[in-house]
Amino acid sequence: MSATTRPRITPSVFFGRAALIVYLVIMLLWLTFPVVLVLLASFQGTLEVSFPGEFNLDAYKTIPPAYWEAFWFTIRAALLATAIAIVVAIPAAWAMVRGKLAGRRAMSNLVLIPDVVPQLILGIALLTVFIPLRLSNSFIGVMLALVALSLSTGLRFTEALLEGLPEEYEQAAQSLGADKLTTFRLVVLPLIAPGVAIAALFIFMQNLITFELLFFISGPSATPIAIRLFSDIIDRGVLPYAVAMAGILVYVAIAFYTLVAVSLGPKYMAGSVMSRKG
Amino acid sequence: MSDMTNTLSSGRSAPDERDEGRRISRRRLQREKLFYRLLTLPAVGIVGLVAIVPLLLLFVGSLREQRSGAFTLDNYINTLGNGFFMRTLATTIMMAGGVTILSVLLALPLAYLLARRTMLRNIVMPIITVPRMLPFVVIGYAMILLLAPMTGVANRVLMNLGILQQPAFILFDWPGQAIAFCYNGIVVATAVLTGVLMSVDPQLEDAAVSMGANRLRAFFSVTVPLATPGIIAAGALIFTSVVTAYAIPVMLNGRVPYMVSLLISANLLTLQQQNLAYAQAIVVSVLAIGVTTLGQIVLSRYGQRGGDR
Repeated sequence: MSATTRPRITPSVFFGRAALIVYLVIMLLWLTFPVVLVLLASFQGTLEVSFPGEFNLDAYKTIPPAYWEAFWFTIRAALLATAIAIVVAIPAAWAMVRGKLAGRRAMSNLVLIPDVVPQLILGIALLTVFIPLRLSNSFIGVMLALVALSLSTGLRFTEALLEGLPEEYEQAAQSLGADKLTTFRLVVLPLIAPGVAIAALFIFMQNLITFELLFFISGPSATPIAIRLFSDIIDRGVLPYAVAMAGILVYVAIAFYTLVAVSLGPKYMAGSVMSRKG
Repeated sequence: MSDMTNTLSSGRSAPDERDEGRRISRRRLQREKLFYRLLTLPAVGIVGLVAIVPLLLLFVGSLREQRSGAFTLDNYINTLGNGFFMRTLATTIMMAGGVTILSVLLALPLAYLLARRTMLRNIVMPIITVPRMLPFVVIGYAMILLLAPMTGVANRVLMNLGILQQPAFILFDWPGQAIAFCYNGIVVATAVLTGVLMSVDPQLEDAAVSMGANRLRAFFSVTVPLATPGIIAAGALIFTSVVTAYAIPVMLNGRVPYMVSLLISANLLTLQQQNLAYAQAIVVSVLAIGVTTLGQIVLSRYGQRGGDR
């Protein structure tokens, strides 16, 4: 901060400051209320949150097996989709950045299509294809849909990572006799590995919370947790154990943030590649 | 690399050997291109199979009559000529536009503070990031816990304080939806705009202040214009996410207002008018992609001018 001469506190400055502080407090309360309310309600086992309320774990104990099934189903599909996307995206991004192929721009735009088309529309399009292939309402179908989305994000991340990597390292390795694959394995991969790990974490989280894309292609035998929570509220209203499950998703989000913040430092969270998306 | 230089140096003696060397290096280059092409193949293939082909089929389906399968423009005529669909679309656009403007206006000062005060940013960053890592459904649960007529915290507090005589039934009406969308919009806008405003050089504001502008004037006539591309990008993001939102409108009673995503899914799932639904889906995606690309175009024009200054 540069040293500026402090202006005299006139009434207008005073009220300006006060208004700013009130605004800040209101905004912070507004931003934190969902997490706070969901956690409070989940520990009170009631929908009527009260502030000096009794705390118990009843809501967590009554989470039905179907919820846990949906939770682990989502984790499995998200993990597998992330792994596939990363394995496919790294060589493709490397070829796009280093290969100087004709039509590179067209190709990277093509791969970004699942990201640009609204998820709801892509979901409907996938439904039309998955029904005749018997892939709707199945693990494979949900996973494939997530792969399309993850691949876009993965390519954007890895392309940015590789563009930031000077080509000289690879040229040095090749001038010493390494072929392309050896260079990739021994030079490129170790250099981008930390960035790729963070990218994988982001993609995994994005897969975990995807709703609109999966809404049409999921079904009774393939229900991601977000859709389970959604359809229960439609059929039965808000239930304490559903709030407890929502609380568990809050813990997952907090764990994710801690992991990223510890490995990157919090300042990198602003303006990260993820910020461009909703 | 090394054998290429060998052929080049030995090729100096005779012209046909030089040709031979060129041919080898060209073939080598072609092999390299092929190698790179092969590496991109899995990515392009997967995207083709799970995105491009389905979207093309959706488009073809929107051009077909449901019974006979003959090609026709009827689905589009019935979509764009249908008063109910157009009214629904207009409601959706109005909702999305209002939410976008409100979110950006409310988030801009906060984003500015976060961009300029490192301590505050470090404290607030988890508060912005954690909600973005939650399914929108969880935000919907929180809205119900806060605003539900009988059990919601806000209603009970306001009634205990005597401000409200009766519970306010705003949750299952358009204000409830607007509030839920605004929550998401503010979170997204704050995160995006913080990054954008951090890239605006604070010295420019200091310069304006040193020439006699007060902080507020410097903010509006220096910082905001420089951040306009980012503001437009954030706005396009929020707008498209509201236009195609599905969970919140249904959770918070999807009758008032009727959003276009609900109309599409009703046609698709309950009314069995798939091909009409496909045409409507195409119309909505053209709108969403159009807004995004318009933002990009404005951004690139504006961004270039901003760079010159």
